[in-house]
Amino acid sequence: MALFGALGIAGTGLTVYRKWLDAVSDNLANVNDASATSGPAFQARYVLAQPVADSLGGGAQVAGTALGSATGRLVYEPDHPLADAEGMVRYPDIDMAGQMGQMIMAQRGYQANLAVVDRAHDAYSAALQLGRSA
Amino acid sequence: MSIAPIGPIAIPAVPPVSTPAADAATSTAPGGFAAALDHGLGQLQQAQTKADNLAVQAATGDLTDVHDYMIASTEAGLATQLTAAVRNKAVDAFNEIMRMQA
Repeated sequence: MALFGALGIAGTGLTVYRKWLDAVSDNLANVNDASATSGPAFQARYVLAQPVADSLGGGAQVAGTALGSATGRLVYEPDHPLADAEGMVRYPDIDMAGQMGQMIMAQRGYQANLAVVDRAHDAYSAALQLGRSA
Repeated sequence: MSIAPIGPIAIPAVPPVSTPAADAATSTAPGGFAAALDHGLGQLQQAQTKADNLAVQAATGDLTDVHDYMIASTEAGLATQLTAAVRNKAVDAFNEIMRMQA
């Protein structure tokens, strides 16, 4: 809404960071998904954000998601029900430390946009108090 | 000793920055203030409707983004305060004029 622009723009940022947090939590939930070597491993999801075109800046949006490598890592587990003839099972190639770092960035980004909403609300409320005492 | 007088400094003209909000609020269309108030009330109605719809979604559990509802209700509250302030100022101005006596 053009009337209180900063609130809407920060809202789009909050949506992007929320989706990033969802993607990271999905990656971490599936970090130990075993699959047969005949198919792809679980692919990590990356959220692609891009700006919304607007004359004064319209915020951010999620353009799409990119998937990580499908090769994964091959682990020797001959007793696994999904193991192939050589006893190899495919696990996803997700770096847990990297995902935790992304989770912290997503959380801090979310907090930063919340701070913008707070300050913008204070600023607009202060403007509405102009001339109140007159 | 003689000191040369200070000549005028030419200040380059600043191009006006037009924003959609400023253009809508200060429209000089015929019916000036009435049209602006009408436009303001329309925006207020839109903001409140949007906040109400999101409130229903939040109550039924359909809402995926909690912040969407909070921002919409904040905007609706600010728009209501703005409309009330505009009305108060207009009424004050009217009363000021009416208080003038011959």
